[in-house]
Amino acid sequence: MTIVVGYVPTPEGEAALTQAIAEARKTDTTLLVINSSKGDALVDNRYAQDSEIQSIEDRLATQGIKHVIKQPVRGHDAAAEVLDAAEEHNAELIVIGLRRRTPVGKLIMGSVSQRILLEADCPVLAVKAG
Amino acid sequence: MSSLATSLKGRSELGVALLLGAAGVVVFLDANGLVTPYSKSDPVGPKTVPFIVAALLIVCAVMLAINVLRGGKGEAEGGEDVDLSHPADWKTVLPLAGAFVLNILLIDWAGWVISGTVLFWGSVLALGSRHYIRDGIISVALSLLTFYGFYLGLGIALPAGLLEGIL
Amino acid sequence: MDVWSSLMDGFATALTPLNFMYAVIGVILGTAVGVLPGLGPAMTVALLLPVTYALEPTSAFIMFAGIYYGGMYGGSTTSILLNTPGESSSVVTAIEGNKMAKAGRAAQALATAAIGSFVAGTIGTALLAVCAPIVVKFAVSLGAPSYFAIMILALLAVTAVLGSSRLRGFASLGLGLAIGLVGIDSVTGQRRLTFGQPLLADGLDIVVVAVAIFAVGEALWVAAHLRRTPLHAIPVGQPWMGKSDWKRSWKPWLRGTAFGFPFGALPAGGAEIPTFLSYVTEKRLSKHPEEFGKGAIEGVAGPEAANNAAAAGTLTPMLALGLPTNATAAVMLAAFTSYGIQPGPQLFSSQGPLVWALIASLFIGNFLLLIINLPLAPLWAKLLQLPRPYLYAGILFFATLGAYSVNLQAFDLMILLVLGALGFMMRRFGLPVLPLILGVILGPRIEGQLRKTLQLSAGDPAGLWSEPIAVVVYIIVAIILAWPFALKLIKRNRPGKKPLLPANSGAADYSD
Repeated sequence: MTIVVGYVPTPEGEAALTQAIAEARKTDTTLLVINSSKGDALVDNRYAQDSEIQSIEDRLATQGIKHVIKQPVRGHDAAAEVLDAAEEHNAELIVIGLRRRTPVGKLIMGSVSQRILLEADCPVLAVKAG
Repeated sequence: MSSLATSLKGRSELGVALLLGAAGVVVFLDANGLVTPYSKSDPVGPKTVPFIVAALLIVCAVMLAINVLRGGKGEAEGGEDVDLSHPADWKTVLPLAGAFVLNILLIDWAGWVISGTVLFWGSVLALGSRHYIRDGIISVALSLLTFYGFYLGLGIALPAGLLEGIL
Repeated sequence: MDVWSSLMDGFATALTPLNFMYAVIGVILGTAVGVLPGLGPAMTVALLLPVTYALEPTSAFIMFAGIYYGGMYGGSTTSILLNTPGESSSVVTAIEGNKMAKAGRAAQALATAAIGSFVAGTIGTALLAVCAPIVVKFAVSLGAPSYFAIMILALLAVTAVLGSSRLRGFASLGLGLAIGLVGIDSVTGQRRLTFGQPLLADGLDIVVVAVAIFAVGEALWVAAHLRRTPLHAIPVGQPWMGKSDWKRSWKPWLRGTAFGFPFGALPAGGAEIPTFLSYVTEKRLSKHPEEFGKGAIEGVAGPEAANNAAAAGTLTPMLALGLPTNATAAVMLAAFTSYGIQPGPQLFSSQGPLVWALIASLFIGNFLLLIINLPLAPLWAKLLQLPRPYLYAGILFFATLGAYSVNLQAFDLMILLVLGALGFMMRRFGLPVLPLILGVILGPRIEGQLRKTLQLSAGDPAGLWSEPIAVVVYIIVAIILAWPFALKLIKRNRPGKKPLLPANSGAADYSD
């Protein structure tokens, strides 16, 4: 069994990661960190750079948590990547970060979190940046 | 890189030498076919410069071939959005060229609005976007906008084609 | 009329509300397109050529002035924020600029680049206004033999000095000259390289050639090699500089300008050498040499100024002699030609008001760049997140539209595709594109001067060196051509010494 966390280098993403670490420690399960990009633009600030990944790696290692970090760039959106990973690894829990969005913003952009909440087969823990 | 890939790469650059040589021969034959009565007012005539250009091309072709066979290699051009670590992605380039050709075939008959839509939509698709409907709307909007923009703003009448009378 | 009053008339023309608006549009378009990944100033001008057809020449050139400097500035923004210089002239800026940005000083790096560009651009344009008429005065006294020699020099210098391989440069030049031959020979009326195709009789439209090589070829090339891993743009606020930044910047700006302008004005100067020289100089003179390599502001200020001053310098031979020495100038020259205006010494007398309006709008464009771009920098950085499919599809779409609207014939689009494929192949195999474009533009004019020269001397080849200037120019040509061989000889006689030039210089190709 695994816990899947959707990570982005933002306060919401950090909050989700912190929460996921706590959950993984509680149940001693493997943590699967997903940080994806569609890879269709030169710049994607939601895609973590090597140094950031390294620091997460260090953080998880020092806390003694079994973990896998994946950074798929396959042209799929973040929701699809997280759902895919959850299904593939038979996840017991998905952890995501929530961002405040205006109703209009949500209408235009759609919502990654909403799709995960609706389509996931396992419990989803949604965290807000505090 | 494996030695096979390296030698293939070297061989493909010989194609450039071949192209240069062929261009040189074509320029030479074309110039040779010109008839020029000697004229005092134009001692150089229309042949001289083509002959020089042909010679330049052929010399470059030969030297490039020698250079490549000796292991010389042209440096592929880098850029902001260019990653040379993977080989050319023909699955992107060929459909792009296809969309381009389709536009050429369609433009006079079907008109710019249709051919331009095909061009943009096809290119976006070739480049990996999968929002078919959104892309379609953008393509139509862009084609219509440029059609009317050129007509009203610049006074250039792009062909209306099949939509003649509607637009 | 003296320079000052001509220039004031130029300002009067350029500052009419309509023309001023075109300058603003030019600066905004130029910067926006310059920031977009993969689009340089030459491509920007080429893509926007058709838009200007409906405008009268003066307005069109005022817009080009904005695009020219705007595109240049846009390029440096990306090299600072992403460390991915789009052109060789902004490679040096990226070295310190990106380090500064990573250290949280992106705002200062962008500010010193913008203000430095403004200072260098303004001084450079002033030098252009002073120098161009002097060059013209000198140039009108030249006859066909000297012209022929100078054009040969420009062609050979660009081909032999720039780029990493002289051989590939000459190959590109040969292709360009061959393309330039297509069409009816103006003296005898015979068709050359038309293959019986009547649509080729008028020759290939230079706009179509430029769009094919710079836009279609580039878009296809980039599409084949898209970067797989997304990059981070360093977040940026409003650019600003503190007191110490100003203190450390102003001298590098001026020194950079001094390096840039003369190199830009030389037939093969380009912007790479002066930016590099400026960087080295600032490193040596700096009171903070330890900061170099970690984000020294001098290392951004100097090279950026040098880059822009070189851009202004490039316009001197372009306007005064009709000799383009970089890609953007070549495309602008193509635009001149499509308006039926022949750049060269006669331009200042026949189209005086147009030229001075262009020079005045370079001043205005520079100023606009500063006041528009400092506040807009965060917005420009957002452009980098534009999804690629739309970006490159857009380039192809507008390239097609542009090439088609020249003559409204589908045949031109076929030429566009064929030459676009050629541009792709050239990028793949390291053939520089600049010699090709110069060959297309200058080839027919060189042939014209050659025939005129030998006509005057009744077929005696000695006519070619009948003017002292021509002789001097041929000596320079000989030196440029013989240089790598001489170097090789020196190296052979002094074994064990390291090569004098870095591996990527023109000499490398012959030394292996």
